[in-house]
Amino acid sequence: MLPFIGIMLAVLALTLVASAMLKGNASRLAAIAGSAVAAVLAFALLGTVLYTGSFGTGESLASYIPQLNVLLDFRLTAVSLVLIVMASIVAFVTLLSGNVEMERLRVSSSLVLLFELAAIGLFSSANLLLFFIFWDVGVVALFFMIYMLGSANRRHAAMKFLIYELLASLLLLLGIMMVYFYTPIHSFDIAYITSVASTVSKSTQGLIFFVLFIAFLINMPVFPVHLWLPDAHTEASTQGSMLLSGVLTKFGGYGMLLLFSMLPIASAYMVPVMILAAFSAFYSVLVLMVQHDIKRIVAYTTIVEMSIILVGIASLSAFGTAGATYAMLAHGLTVALMFLAAGSVGYMFADRDIRSVSGVVRNTISTTYAFLLGIFATTGVPLTTAFIGDVLIFIGAIGAFGIYGAIPLAALALLGAFLYYVVNRSFLSVKRKSNAVAYIGRSQNAGYAILLFFILLFGILPFVILKLFGI
Amino acid sequence: MIMMIDENMLQYALFLAQGLLVASGIFSVMHKNKKAQFAISTILLVAIALTASSLFASDSSIVPFSAFRISQFSMFFISLFSILLVLVNIISYEYSQDYISFSALFGFTIAGMYVVTMANSLISVFLGIELMALPTAFMIMINGKQGIESAVKLFVMAATAIAAFSFALALVFPFNAQLSLTALHIGSGQGNYLVLLAVVLFVISLAFEASLFPFNLWVPDVYQGAQGNITAMMSGINKKVAFVAIMEVFFIALVPLSSVFSQLFIALAIATMFYGNIVALVQDNVKRLFAYSSISQAGYIMIGIAVATQYGIEASIFQIVAHALAIIAIFAVILWLEENNIKSLKDYTALSRRNGFAAFTLTILMLSLIGIPPLIGFVGKFLLFTSAIYSNLLFLAAIGIFNSFISVYYYAKVIMAMYSKKEEVRSLRMGWSVSAVSVISVIAVLVLGLVPQFLIAAASQASAALLAI
Repeated sequence: MLPFIGIMLAVLALTLVASAMLKGNASRLAAIAGSAVAAVLAFALLGTVLYTGSFGTGESLASYIPQLNVLLDFRLTAVSLVLIVMASIVAFVTLLSGNVEMERLRVSSSLVLLFELAAIGLFSSANLLLFFIFWDVGVVALFFMIYMLGSANRRHAAMKFLIYELLASLLLLLGIMMVYFYTPIHSFDIAYITSVASTVSKSTQGLIFFVLFIAFLINMPVFPVHLWLPDAHTEASTQGSMLLSGVLTKFGGYGMLLLFSMLPIASAYMVPVMILAAFSAFYSVLVLMVQHDIKRIVAYTTIVEMSIILVGIASLSAFGTAGATYAMLAHGLTVALMFLAAGSVGYMFADRDIRSVSGVVRNTISTTYAFLLGIFATTGVPLTTAFIGDVLIFIGAIGAFGIYGAIPLAALALLGAFLYYVVNRSFLSVKRKSNAVAYIGRSQNAGYAILLFFILLFGILPFVILKLFGI
Repeated sequence: MIMMIDENMLQYALFLAQGLLVASGIFSVMHKNKKAQFAISTILLVAIALTASSLFASDSSIVPFSAFRISQFSMFFISLFSILLVLVNIISYEYSQDYISFSALFGFTIAGMYVVTMANSLISVFLGIELMALPTAFMIMINGKQGIESAVKLFVMAATAIAAFSFALALVFPFNAQLSLTALHIGSGQGNYLVLLAVVLFVISLAFEASLFPFNLWVPDVYQGAQGNITAMMSGINKKVAFVAIMEVFFIALVPLSSVFSQLFIALAIATMFYGNIVALVQDNVKRLFAYSSISQAGYIMIGIAVATQYGIEASIFQIVAHALAIIAIFAVILWLEENNIKSLKDYTALSRRNGFAAFTLTILMLSLIGIPPLIGFVGKFLLFTSAIYSNLLFLAAIGIFNSFISVYYYAKVIMAMYSKKEEVRSLRMGWSVSAVSVISVIAVLVLGLVPQFLIAAASQASAALLAI
């Protein structure tokens, strides 16, 4: 098997250098080409794994700190492969169509590439230190995206983002250092830690679990540490929002999956985590209902979705895990689509308030229907990817928690109801005249098409991904 | 046999070059040729760095004149300091108001640094610190506009520190009528109040030099009042020499008392980190902000010394390199900005538009100071915190991590100011010396962060050599 991960990272790193050197649109085109190559490689990797039926033995590129037994090594699991595919699609579309205003192309393209590099490295890293390193690189890249490219009130939002995210990353550092120290042969290797974690004493495991749980909870984000997300989204550029909800929140989701599979103590906390997640889902839906900013509304859907994903993770079953992964794939693609649509609306109307924006459908049919299909995909209408994810999550949750496991489904129903109200009020209303001030280009339509294609593809052909999980 | 001759020759070459460096400084006052003096001192510093690194590589352990010791520990720091001094020399050449007087004093300061680094007796440490601190005070005086006040503060501080040190010397001398670091034979000293008092006095005196809380009240004023190149030298090198002195005094001479002083050091490390980081939060003058930031960094370095294991010392040595590389370039950029009347946080607004490279340099170096991977500062902090966890001091690592978190706020404030938007900006041209130092430093911070293994191996050898003495 080719060292796909190494090649992808090398391609992205080289493109990053090229993109930082070039100016203007050339920089953007170079970045699009590089991330297209990375996406093709991701699909080639998926195809190879499906064809050979094995995930390979992992790739070890070099030694980072040999004194501490830390290598630059990568491995593939079903979860990481799915997330790599998702991240490469979202990053490609972000570069292709996210910069609606076509401003500051060099900075934005370089930062998106840096973030994509971090995301692919993080999802494939085989040891926790590498995971942490890529985590921080991703956070710093997004911080600069929010701060340098954001809107008027970005200063406050960027600082809030940085403080929350770096708190998470430092808790993560503390947690992985504790894991490292308490394993018999000091090691950061995820597979090794998983195999020996049961020898660590219960109280230590509990402490490590708590520290890492908070770190991932902040990133996901789930109530009560979600406050950075709506602000960051309101101020971030469209590209920043697409990556923030689409990919960055998956860092926490992936970490949470790792944590629950790594430490046996996790089974003791299934029920409290599930209660927290369910509460978070209902709370966020209720908060969402009083928002007026389209981007803020979409941001709250992220919290709802991530809470439901946490329900799947907490069920600790094969279905729950596969469902959480599938839902992360679905949510990454869907939320990127919705933020692209919301960003286009913001650009066209110079306004994102659902009370004043009206008649989007008169202006661009594509944006309207992209947003509408995005809502279908969020609420899990059959034939969309989210449907498969939700079904699997709730099979897992009902298996683990009995009938109570299905309660969060009500939050999803409420979410759907409110989102249809929003789209009816601002996007589809034809009573009032459209007050658009600008028009979007062809690249946005291409972005909608690509994302919708994959949302439907993985919804109609779920066995492509489910084969990886052996379900 | 050939090996022996080589070592001896290298050793003499080292002393010769160091002597020539001091002499060239004195002679420059007579010929007053700036260019020649700059060339000579730079060449000599590079020669010393090369000689010391080859002595490091040959794993020599020699005790010439019974006052000095050539070991992997001292040679590691001699080469490190020489390289850093080249950077300071470059910025001083362009920005020093009186480069000739500067270089005369510079020679003495360097001699002091070398004496401390190679010390084999408490007297060498004592004299070296004195020799380093006093010319620094004069350098501040001749160069700065508001220098006199800072110089007097530094002078009084140095005098207090040296008084405490000599008192401590007097207390430990009677045990064996010896001041050699290896022959002090102070016993375990448990229950002996004179020894405990001596330990406390050593801690106080060296804490003054290393700017540990609560002996660091002079730092912000002196750093702010001194010209940037002197500030860079003080925080990048003088302070690191004080850490070398701490390691020598406590891990060679007083090592039987490690359980006593390690408790003291833990308290000092925690207090220093909190003090530096919390006070830095409210600073408006950027130079002052970095003075407090470098106080907090001294606290991190102290973590490794407080855990008092070989791994801890190795981590501290690594962090010393990490911080010195970053802070010298930071103060160099600040010096150049101050020359252009850019001082407070507000003046830093839209610096990225005025000079993109300066903003980029400061950003990368500050991210390294926060400890963002894959920069060198991350590796340093990572080693420090793991060393604490290895010694079952989980709370110390947690406090260190919490402090890194506090520090994010004030570094981010500077970064945000630099990258904010402002209309009508006038572009700034960076001085050649500052660009050179920035480029060297940014490359070093990136490369040593991506490939840290060689530096870790060297730090590990140095710490092993220290403990083997």
